[in-house]
Amino acid sequence: MSDLHKSDQDTLSGWGWMALLLGAVFMLGPFYFMFVFATLPRTEIFSVPPPLFFGDHFLANMAILMKKIPFWINLGWSLYVGLASTALTLLFCSMAGFAFAIYDFKFKNALFSVVMGTMLVPAFLGMIPTFLIMDALHWIDQPRALYLPGAAPAMGIFLMRQYISSAIPKELIEAARMDGCGELRIYWSVVVPLLGPAFGTLGLIAFIASWNNFIGPLVVMRSVEMYTFPLALRSVQSPVDTEWGALMAGSAIAVIPLLIIFIFSSRRLIEGLTSGAVRG
Amino acid sequence: MKKLLTSIVALLLIFNAYAEQKTLTVAAYPSVDEIIKTALIEWKKKHPDVDIKVVGREYADHHTAMTTALATATSLPDVMTIEYGYLGRFAQSGALEDLSQPPYRANDVAKKIVPFAMAQARTQAHGQIAIPTDIGPGAMFYRNDLAQKAKVKDAELTESWDSFIESGKKIKSATGAYLVAHARDVKDIVIRTGIPADEGVYFDSRGQSVVGTSPRFQKGFELAKKIRTEGLDAKVNAWSGEWGESLKRGNVSVQMMGAWLGGHLANWLAPNTAGLWRSTALPERAATSWGGTFYAIPKKAQNKELAWDLISYLTLNRQQQQLAFEKFNAFPALLDAQSGPFFEQPVQFLGGQKARIEWKNTASQIEPTRVFKHDTIAEEIVNAELDLVLLKGKPIDQALKDANSQIQRRARR
Amino acid sequence: MKPIIKPSIAPYVLISPFIILFLAFGLFPILFSFVLMFHTWDPVQGLASMQFVGLENLAFAIDDPLVWTSLGNTLWLAVASGLPQHLIAIPLAYLINEKLGRWRNAVMGAYFLPYITSTVPIAMMFSTLFSTDYGMVNAMLLKLAQTPLFQHVLPNTNVDWLGDPKTIKPIVAFVVFWRYLGFNIILYVAAMQAIPRDQYEAARMDGAKSFQQFWYITLPQLKPIMFFGVTLTIIGGLQLFEEPFILTGGKGGMEYAGMTTAMYMYRTAFDYNDYGLASAISWMLFIIILAMTILTNKAFKGKEVQA
Repeated sequence: MSDLHKSDQDTLSGWGWMALLLGAVFMLGPFYFMFVFATLPRTEIFSVPPPLFFGDHFLANMAILMKKIPFWINLGWSLYVGLASTALTLLFCSMAGFAFAIYDFKFKNALFSVVMGTMLVPAFLGMIPTFLIMDALHWIDQPRALYLPGAAPAMGIFLMRQYISSAIPKELIEAARMDGCGELRIYWSVVVPLLGPAFGTLGLIAFIASWNNFIGPLVVMRSVEMYTFPLALRSVQSPVDTEWGALMAGSAIAVIPLLIIFIFSSRRLIEGLTSGAVRG
Repeated sequence: MKKLLTSIVALLLIFNAYAEQKTLTVAAYPSVDEIIKTALIEWKKKHPDVDIKVVGREYADHHTAMTTALATATSLPDVMTIEYGYLGRFAQSGALEDLSQPPYRANDVAKKIVPFAMAQARTQAHGQIAIPTDIGPGAMFYRNDLAQKAKVKDAELTESWDSFIESGKKIKSATGAYLVAHARDVKDIVIRTGIPADEGVYFDSRGQSVVGTSPRFQKGFELAKKIRTEGLDAKVNAWSGEWGESLKRGNVSVQMMGAWLGGHLANWLAPNTAGLWRSTALPERAATSWGGTFYAIPKKAQNKELAWDLISYLTLNRQQQQLAFEKFNAFPALLDAQSGPFFEQPVQFLGGQKARIEWKNTASQIEPTRVFKHDTIAEEIVNAELDLVLLKGKPIDQALKDANSQIQRRARR
Repeated sequence: MKPIIKPSIAPYVLISPFIILFLAFGLFPILFSFVLMFHTWDPVQGLASMQFVGLENLAFAIDDPLVWTSLGNTLWLAVASGLPQHLIAIPLAYLINEKLGRWRNAVMGAYFLPYITSTVPIAMMFSTLFSTDYGMVNAMLLKLAQTPLFQHVLPNTNVDWLGDPKTIKPIVAFVVFWRYLGFNIILYVAAMQAIPRDQYEAARMDGAKSFQQFWYITLPQLKPIMFFGVTLTIIGGLQLFEEPFILTGGKGGMEYAGMTTAMYMYRTAFDYNDYGLASAISWMLFIIILAMTILTNKAFKGKEVQA
């Protein structure tokens, strides 16, 4: 039995490996070009056949980019807003998700529909009214206008609710209550430590959404020094005269912090519940 | 407590003094933002106490941000850059200063500027809402080497549209190169030729669509169709990667566009083809313009006088206009700037041709065209119908009729 | 220890940040958009220029062939890009979770890269790859078309991927799929992490093969996350904007084959300066998204009760 079992696993591994690798190449293929473009001068980028090898223009492109925008400042703002946004999102969404998952309260369904409803308005239609609000609050040109409004995204609450209701058994909550824990204490000391994978996932999503968001800053920021990175990169694009090499170099750099965050959070994904604190 | 109060007062005074320093906000897109930054070096010497903020955004982002600012009447810059394509839409806003009024008195300096460009920014209801800073007089850039190989002379290309097409056939059979990048380009020029005064490209003086009735559109569509059926266009869209590649490789022998294209070709589009191109007039002496940059002052701006000072410098100062042309390909709208050594210079990229003088002559022949709010939709609808004609063989009169009714439907709103 | 907050009001305390943020930033745009649906407004003319027109915008939208074309495109794209995202993500996530040891992070990272890249380089990459005369895809296809195997199947002229109305939709669907596959893989891997290992152990003892373990243990417990992921895909699919926008140069492609409803809304508001009509269209889309979400809810609710 174990022999059959073993060979069956190997076959799956073989095919599995092939599929995964093929897929990974597929995913990465286009990026190869992005990085190649980042190292070439503008005149060579659009040649045909597409350039396949790295050039030596990376530093030159970076120099062009840094002359056009306050590169490090923009990067810094993106980082600051991203971290603030992520921290708040994790906190607020886990709180709300916990409430929806564990409790039965009046208006629960109505409120959850409201939560879902907020997912339904496209960003650009909200530009003008959001601008009015920010102006009334005097938050124009301020980072808090970027990380506060979206700090409790419906999607995050939804995710947390699904995760908590499936991964955290009610018995645990009951046990804590019987031990005399207050509700908030239950949330903080019992549930939060078990949210590893969900925090990893939501944190990643939240950071990426914040990092790549350019509609928010477009509306709210009035000075180049306050731009976040994607907006600054876009401002380098001219209708006729774009420095493509510099743009690609900037885009390549924009991906790196996200990759780093990904590496961090994927470790939490692995930790998970395997320590058996919940079941068994 | 007293100490606290004193320090608070002191701080307030400091902030106040800080606030006294004026800040001029200028909103623009590339490369106009670069032009402005270059100009500021000189301008700041005359205004050392002024703090200047240049807010650069991508072309569409910039206009979206300006739309938002106009919509809410907040966060408006002191100097607003508007590109020709958006002029029609912004002109009707009623939120831009009439620059012909005091203290600007733009009419006094109007004759210093190319007339058609000034006229484009003049509206009946709101006056002179913007000042042009650069223009794009139309030119035909053609590959001299390919034309010679096909034994096609300059005059054959420009005499008439029919001879233009005949030349195209010769070039195609002799060299394999296409005549134009896209049949649509020809249509674009034809519909902009021979526009009656006080009318726009798509609309007449009463705002009614002329697409169904004007012979320009009929002719434009017919020529485009002929070019397509003869296989003379490369079917590439301007500014796409393929277009750039076609220019580099000589797959496209003619490109008609604003004179500024010459600079782009030389700098990065097709530097390898230096010396092979020449510039000449458009067929049938058509005189049209491509694009153009304008400066406006919002009514709600904080520093309007200062804004006008800067705009005057950018648009009326000969050195500045010429500098913008030399460095950034921005063809001067200031008549005075359209002369001088730079203009007399032979252009190396064009095989030593003194093209800039020719462009200046074209510029003086361009007639003003009224801009309308619905120009953009009209252009799209017409292009969509042209696609149907070119790709699906839709009959031209049907296409024009449909385009006309669609435009009317939308323009009523 | 006495509980500080009573269980009865605890939920309200916990969702208060969301409620406050919603009231401050979420409600107004929704109301604004709703009010504007009944007005005609050219944003450039300022707030005061809004004019009440009742149901005229809705009437115009219903009568507008482009609205229906874009809706058709949107639905097609939502399904064509959404279905593969999940059908392929789940087995891949299983493989990644079970079979990869040290390579797990690297592979997940590779799949995740498309999701974290902004649209500008993506637009460049794909328009270069799918370029009619100069793209790699066509170059490869042409080479393959020479071989006897594919000679009669593949065309031997260049395919105008981005220009031909027949092909632009599949391309957009592909790019969307490419972009979000990794996201769903992450989601499912996280969910699979939560399934206790001992269930698999027990199954293995009983002689269950990998596939059976997957079908009977993994899949049922993925339902909550699947519900989440599918809902997100549906909503995202129906609101598709960025990918078609960049692949068609913002215009919607030949015969508007690549124009989604969200794109049409954007153009109506900011290119045609008809904000009222854009709002009306957005609410039409909202109704559809709401309907689809309710349907999804019902579909999964049944399965949730079972689990």
